[in-house]
Amino acid sequence: MHNRNIWFWLFLTPVILGLGLVVVVPFIYGFIFSFTDWNGITATKFVGLQHYINLFQEDEFMASIWFTVKFAIITVILLNIMGLGLALLVTRNIKTNNLLRTVFFMPNLIGGLILGFIWQFIFVSVFEDIGMLLGVESLTGWLSTTSTGFWGLVILTAWQMAGYIMIIYIAYLENIPKDLIEAAKIDGANGFQRFKNITFPLVAPAFTVSMFLTLSMAFKIYDQNLSLTNGGPFNSTQMVAMEIVRTAFSDQQMAFAQAKAVIFFFIVAVIALTQVYYNKKREVEM
Amino acid sequence: MKGKKFYTGIASALLASSIALTGCSFSSGDESASESSGDAVTVDVFQFKVEFKEQFEELVSMYEEENPDVNINVKTVGGGNDYGAALKTSFSSGEEPDIFNIGGPTDVQQYEKYLADLSDTKAAEAALDGTLTSVKKDGQILGLPYNQEGYGLLYNKKVFEEAGINPDEIKTMDDLESAVKKLDSNKKELGIKAPFAFPAKEKWVIGNHLANAYIAEEFNHSVMDAYEADTIKFEMADQMKRFLDLQNDYSIQPTLSLDYSQQVEEYFSLGKVAMIQQGNWVYNTIASMDEEFAQNNVGLLPIPVEGYEGIPVGVPNYWVVNKESEDEVVQASKEFLDWMYTSETGKKFVTEKFKFIPAYEGYEDLEIADPISQEIYEYVKAEKTLGWVFLGAPIGWTEDAFGVAVQEYIAGKITWEEVLEQSRKAWEQSRK
Repeated sequence: MHNRNIWFWLFLTPVILGLGLVVVVPFIYGFIFSFTDWNGITATKFVGLQHYINLFQEDEFMASIWFTVKFAIITVILLNIMGLGLALLVTRNIKTNNLLRTVFFMPNLIGGLILGFIWQFIFVSVFEDIGMLLGVESLTGWLSTTSTGFWGLVILTAWQMAGYIMIIYIAYLENIPKDLIEAAKIDGANGFQRFKNITFPLVAPAFTVSMFLTLSMAFKIYDQNLSLTNGGPFNSTQMVAMEIVRTAFSDQQMAFAQAKAVIFFFIVAVIALTQVYYNKKREVEM
Repeated sequence: MKGKKFYTGIASALLASSIALTGCSFSSGDESASESSGDAVTVDVFQFKVEFKEQFEELVSMYEEENPDVNINVKTVGGGNDYGAALKTSFSSGEEPDIFNIGGPTDVQQYEKYLADLSDTKAAEAALDGTLTSVKKDGQILGLPYNQEGYGLLYNKKVFEEAGINPDEIKTMDDLESAVKKLDSNKKELGIKAPFAFPAKEKWVIGNHLANAYIAEEFNHSVMDAYEADTIKFEMADQMKRFLDLQNDYSIQPTLSLDYSQQVEEYFSLGKVAMIQQGNWVYNTIASMDEEFAQNNVGLLPIPVEGYEGIPVGVPNYWVVNKESEDEVVQASKEFLDWMYTSETGKKFVTEKFKFIPAYEGYEDLEIADPISQEIYEYVKAEKTLGWVFLGAPIGWTEDAFGVAVQEYIAGKITWEEVLEQSRKAWEQSRK
């Protein structure tokens, strides 16, 4: 910490400069533009808080926030359960350990857009065919209603991200000292007790990380949304990110979209930071 | 002491990076200097039609060979929304293109201060009647049409023949309905899944094309009338509903998750449905699935609108020249556009390679490349056309107001009256 001499700053320059130019400066610009009538080319007048007042009265924006919140709650719970479950599975002594890890992680390597199209095919065609074959009504017509669109997105996201979350849990699970587990065993604790009283508290830091990652990811999701449902039917499966892009580029209300984006930023920031704060408090120091 | 170090640190860092950055700008400066050596004029083209990118670049290199003192750089960014965004970005970053594309009157208004008057070009003179209305302003002609496009009901000739339906006899909605019913009752024998594939997932199919056929009349087939209208009356709402219901009810279900690529590639090209509502732009897609089918087996029916027997035809895009560019660049840009649409080489290229339906005079003796475009051109020559008024609708109205409302109607959430009411309100709201 005390070695901040010229060299320290010199080596840091590329990063600071990059971060500043592509994140900080545009962010400040965007913030300023949200108070003007900016149309993407020029801003002619200052409109104050007008956009912020309007956006809370817009049904579509509020609906997309609500949809995103529901989506976030479900996926965060699901992803953490699945991630931890998979991690527990592959940290046991099974022969195919490494193969399984690779397989579970693989979906995460495919881009969201392509995944969306693949799953679109599965939901629309494969589900349909299986449903017809087995006579299961609920497997047909996927993505054509709001609820199937919602669950389609949840399934896609869970499938894609579970492997990534798994890796984080694996890292923490493998760091749990074996002697603690052994001691518990000798004391006569059964498998569930060992998990509840030793493993679980010791992977708490992983929760903090995973919760943060899944939360912010669930809120910011865009490409999967775009390629899977494209907001349809009737814009009812539209996430906030997509709503903002639409406002900016198809309705051409750049400044209004910018105001929405600022609100979106605050929502995500507040939720994510509160969550980290509370989870940090729960962590156990070893 | 510590504070001092901090500031020296920052200062040296800034110094180092500014040196690095100037280095960058110097080197890029050199590049552009060497490019424009030999008194060449460099024209930057920023265009959006991905489908003909390669052919267009081929044409450009031919032009550069003929005119060694002109250097043309082509940049292509695809798809409606992305292009608009990318164009805006290049304007706000100061890298303004010399030739670019705009769509309808809304774009004209937005970019007005950049648009050069093109009325002194040969191409503007040769442009067909009505193709320039949306780019005319105060006696100036601000854009040159790309091409013409048209749409209707594309049908599978073989299926129609087998079903014993004569497409020439389908003139009214009743005729169409009975043909559809006939197809539907024989779908097993014909080997089709349904008469239609109606992609209700694609809001533009509903909001732009389907709606346009039935609102064109009330705006006198003019984009500008629609652009200036304070409200929309939906005078042909009943016919529109009938046509929509017909397509939706007799389509492969569920329509709300059926998309454009399924409609054209999976169902129509492979002969699983008898009809789709699309235009000449699908030709290449069908051909990539089944060349023979695309060449010989696709016919075009007009959408039945009372009092009309024609095809909605319009100009989807315009070339415009940036008047903020240097005078010689503007001149070179105009010459290039003129050459593309009025020289013999250019004309041949436009029809044969671009496969365009020309929006200019002087193409009478040239063969149009694909059969769908040919049929549309026949309608154009016979003046049996309806206007494309949807480009004059308020921004986002066609898809996010009308398209969404129709989707809700299809899902059974609202009635047809509510669709009209909602859409009318949205129109009036944005024209206040």
